Parts: sequence; structure tokens; C-alpha cells
Amino acid sequence: MSVRTAILDRVRHAQRTGRIPGAAALSGPPTRGPERPAPPALIERFVGELAALGVESFVESSPDDVHARVKAIVGARSVLAWDARQLPYDVDRVLVGAARGSSPRDVQAAAQIGVTGCDAAIAETGSLVLLSGEGKPRTASLLPPAHLAIVRQTDLCDSMSEFFRERAADIAAAACCTVITGPSRTADIELTLTLGVHGPGEVIVIVGP
Amino acid sequence: MTPTAFVERAEGALADAQLQIALSRATGTLGSRRASAFESLENADAVRDAARAARMNAIANLSGLLERFESKLIANGAHVHWAETAEQANHIVVGIARRTGATRAVKSKSMVSEETHLNEALEQAGVTPIETDLGEYIVQLRHDRPSHIIAPIIHLTRQQVGRVMEERLNVPYTDDTKTLAATARAKLREEFLRADLGISGANFGVADTGSICLVTNEGNGRMVTTMPRVHVVLMGIEKLVASMADLDACLKVLARSGTGQKITVYTTMVRAPRRPGDTDGPEELHVVLLDNGRSRILAGDTAEILGCIRCGACLNVCPVYRNIGGHAYGDTYPGPVGAVVTPGLRGLGPWRELPHASSLCGACRDVCPVRLDIPRMLLALRAAAAADDPQPKSLAWGMKAFGWIASRPALYRAMARVGRLALRARARDGWIGALPGLAGGWTKARDFPAPAARTFQDQWRARGKGRAS
Repeated sequence: MSVRTAILDRVRHAQRTGRIPGAAALSGPPTRGPERPAPPALIERFVGELAALGVESFVESSPDDVHARVKAIVGARSVLAWDARQLPYDVDRVLVGAARGSSPRDVQAAAQIGVTGCDAAIAETGSLVLLSGEGKPRTASLLPPAHLAIVRQTDLCDSMSEFFRERAADIAAAACCTVITGPSRTADIELTLTLGVHGPGEVIVIVGP
Repeated sequence: MTPTAFVERAEGALADAQLQIALSRATGTLGSRRASAFESLENADAVRDAARAARMNAIANLSGLLERFESKLIANGAHVHWAETAEQANHIVVGIARRTGATRAVKSKSMVSEETHLNEALEQAGVTPIETDLGEYIVQLRHDRPSHIIAPIIHLTRQQVGRVMEERLNVPYTDDTKTLAATARAKLREEFLRADLGISGANFGVADTGSICLVTNEGNGRMVTTMPRVHVVLMGIEKLVASMADLDACLKVLARSGTGQKITVYTTMVRAPRRPGDTDGPEELHVVLLDNGRSRILAGDTAEILGCIRCGACLNVCPVYRNIGGHAYGDTYPGPVGAVVTPGLRGLGPWRELPHASSLCGACRDVCPVRLDIPRMLLALRAAAAADDPQPKSLAWGMKAFGWIASRPALYRAMARVGRLALRARARDGWIGALPGLAGGWTKARDFPAPAARTFQDQWRARGKGRAS
């Protein structure tokens, strides 16, 4: 008998004899969040949560304003970015000489700021959701010490529950779904907060039109 | 570990003044962060009920979920392995390392790999394991052991961390936490960029989608699942939830209970090796499903403990953990949850003392995000230990004699009167410092309160008379 069969047989038997509190009776009414707020309230909530996490954010009303903001934030820093067609608002135009996912690892690792779009943004928690895929290297939001994410208003979701429910097909198509909530942090030494341990210590968000 | 060893460890911890300060500070801070995180959560009770339902449903339907999880993973292009024991699990991981020619493995925090002593197995096979969670990294540098589920080095001061880094990494001594963290970042960054193998645990596995969910605050979980060519997930078979909605319910309570955050900084859900067109992510994804005693727990009175999501909240509120810390529990899983899990995984045998490392105050049950009834399970384990442990004859005779006396009210009252007077004669300021014979066991560790001058029955009778008149 294979190990697999042996374990599954034992588990199947154990489920019948084990003292497991009646789970079905416990599942209360589905937890429904508040009604979905209108977009301005959603943006306000998102931006408020970002501020609480120590994430600087800018709400811009036109693609030109987004471009100007990206330029100002990136400054002279070397960039690791998503591919042009994956970035919203044609932001790639203002990124000069950016490394991509196809660049050598050491070049990617040396970049000073990562520039990405996102697949969703969660207002309730101030989270950015990034699905892996062609032209969307995971390294761009991970290796550089700073991460600039560009969010479209249409990316905004109320909650993680809503995102999981409404974007199940997209999640199932990607190898990896990453939810980023604030800068990398640790409190392992004497519970003292330190930012930027392995991931970016600085996260900046631009919310476009 | 023998029972004496547990008592010795506990006494050692109680005598360690620095550990006492560290424990009280850390558990106090984590406990109050948790409390405020739940205060600010609307429908906190409903959210906890949903998380509990998600876990209990998973445990009740585990075999079906395991089969679904496996078939999804295989369809997604991952490899699934099954392991009965720690040795088998380590053998599988070492085999993957050998086949892929890996010599260095970066690890994100995995309690299961501590349980199986995977690092030793890798080292013996010539593969260097590198812990990448800051706390676990320092534990590894010190050849120490983690003392808390989510804060592995709460037993250390920053000065101790500074000294071990100076010694082992050849950097100047500092006790500045930011500099220490920056040193670790730089050293570990090199490792992430060159490692061939990434090893992680799993916070949850989602049966519907075949997703492995990992949460970290530092980002090491992302590194381990993004940079190396091969990613191996080592997880217990109990870690499943049925659906993404159930995962959502569990994520809502996990970080709040552990650190007081709404959600961990990085929540990573991996379900497949890199896809065509992806420029990063592992080329191979392996999932090792480990039993190692879990199916035995599932079959018995403590099956409920398999619903634990390893948040660590029960440690922070436990009066025993807060005094003796994690190491005294002697194995991978400390605190109230460890007192149930360890005897379950390893067998009661030498671990029979652990269920007694509790005052049964119920604080663990009150804070548990999935409402595990830990005191009930501790009692079940105590009963099991007593049942297969022959009790001293004197105890059996004593209980029999007590039963005989207690069923004869007049005799009982007379004996109680004699006992009361004898005890009161020994008391000083309301307390008795030493008792003879069997009763001496009690006064060895604490004083015995002197009985009241008048019994409850006397007072009741007097009160009744007062009313009647």
C-alpha cells in the first residue's frame, strides 16, 4: 500500500472516530460587509489605510498628472519595471532605461526603485494585489528598496472577500497571487519595528483617474 | 523529555531574570496589540465563527479535501509527495535537493521543518540550509531554538543579537536594531540571489484551487517562492481549507491574533510553477504532505486542535507560558497549543506532564481566533495519562475511604469538624505552611489556606433560624 493510500485511509477512518465539533452548525450567517461605497469613498478609505501603514500616496486626475508624478518620484533612481504594455496610463514613456523581468538578475537586483501596476487594490486594508504573468515580474515589487505602484480607480475593490469572489478566474490563471500591505517590516528584535527587511522599505502609491 | 526534565526546565526559566523581563514585555505587548485589533473589528464574533467553521469543516472533511488539493496541484503542474514520518519527509526534500543539484537552500519560517529537524538532514546531505526570517536566522546563528510561534527570539535582548552577529558574521558590534536588521538584509540578499532551492511551510492550503498561502511581514516568503529554481513546500496534512472564501475568513483573524495587524504585509498564494512568459518564480514546485501523528490526533479526543492556525495568541495570555517561556515545553510547539499538540504528535509517553502545564484558566480559549477549547483537550489528555498510569495505592484507598465517609452525613460532619479544628490549630495568619504525610505534597509548593471558623452549613443553619424568628 502506498504512503498516500495509507494516510488517506487513516484520515478517512479518523474523521469518523475523532471528536470534531459540529462544524456545519457553526457556520454563522455569511459575513456581509457594508454596502459597497461609491468610488470617492472607496478612494478615501484606500488612501486612509495606506497612510496608516506608512505608505505615501497621490491621487491624480489625468494621465499627464500621473506621468509628472512618476517622474518626480523616480527622479534619478535606477528602475526595474513591468513591461510597457502592463503599465497603466502609458507610464512607460517616462521611464528611461528601466530594467525589466528579462534583464539579468544582478541588473534587476541593483535597481533602486520598482515600478508596477496592480491587478487590484483593496480599500479595506490598503493592499495592492499583483498577479504574476507575462511582462509582470514579481521581482519589481520585491527586490528594489522602494516600490512605486500605479493604481487605476477601476482596480479598487472594497475587500479581499470581494476580490477573491469576483476575480477567481484571474487568480486561477496566474502562478502566484501576491497581496502587499505596506512596507516590508520586522519586529523580531525586542518587538522594535524596523522597515525594509527583505522587501521594499518604502512603498508609494499613485491612484490615477 | 522526562517529567523531571520539564520541571527542571521550568525552574530554570523561572530563575532566569532576563528571560522573565523579556517574556513579560513581549507577551504583554503582543497581547494588547491583539486586543485592540479585535476591538476595532466590526462583527468580530461573526468573523471568528466563520474562521472556526472554515477550519472545523476542513478537519471534518480532510480526506476529501486532501484528494482535491492534490489533484488541483497536479493539474497546475506541481509535484505532490506524501510522508508518514519526519524521516520520510526529510528524505523526500533531500532527494529533491540532490536531483536538482542544489547546494544551498533558503528557508522561510516553517514550524513543520522544525518538527522534522529538516536542517540537520539537509546538512548531512551536504545542502546548506539558510533560515531567512530575521528571528529564525538569529536562532540559526546561535544554534538556539525558537521560543515563540511568531516571535522566535523574544527570549533574546538586542545586545545578545548584536554579539552573535559580531561573532558569526564578522561585523562590528552594535545593539542598534535597524543596523542589525540591515546587516541581516545584506547577508540574506546574497543568499536569495544564489540559492537553488527555496523551502517554505504553508499557512494554509486551499483545496479548491491548489493554492499554497504563505504570510510574512519581512518578504522572505516572497523571496523563497520567487528567486530559486525549485520551491519545496513542507506542510502538515491538517493545513487545508476548502475554498478561497474560507481562506479569507482565516486570514481575517490570523494577523490580528498574531501581531495585531489587519493583514500581514505579504500574503503570497502560489498555485503553480512559473508559467510560459513568466520571468521569475520556480521552474519546479513540490508539495510534501506530512502526517507524522496528525491522523492519530484526528482520530481522538483532541481532533479539534488540528484547527489551530498557529497565531500564537494563546501563548501571550497563558500564565504558564508567560512565566516559563517556550523552551521549557521541550519541543517545537510551545504554550497551551503545544501542550495539546506535542503529546498528540509524539505520543503521551514522556510528554504526559505537558497537559499539566496549565492552570485551566481558559484565557487561551477566550483569545483563540478559531475558538479551540484548549482546556477541554488538556483535561482529556490528563485523563488519558491517568488512565494508563497506575495510581499509587494510597490514593486509591484514600479516595475509597473518602467516598465511604462522604456518603454518611453524620460521620462526614464529625470528621470535617475534627479536620477543621486540627488544621486551624496549625495555621498562622490564616495559612498553613506545612502539612504531614500525603498532604505535604500540596504545601511543598504553596501554603494551604486555613478553613473558616464556621462551616458553610453552620452559617446556613444560623441564617435559617434568624429568618424564621
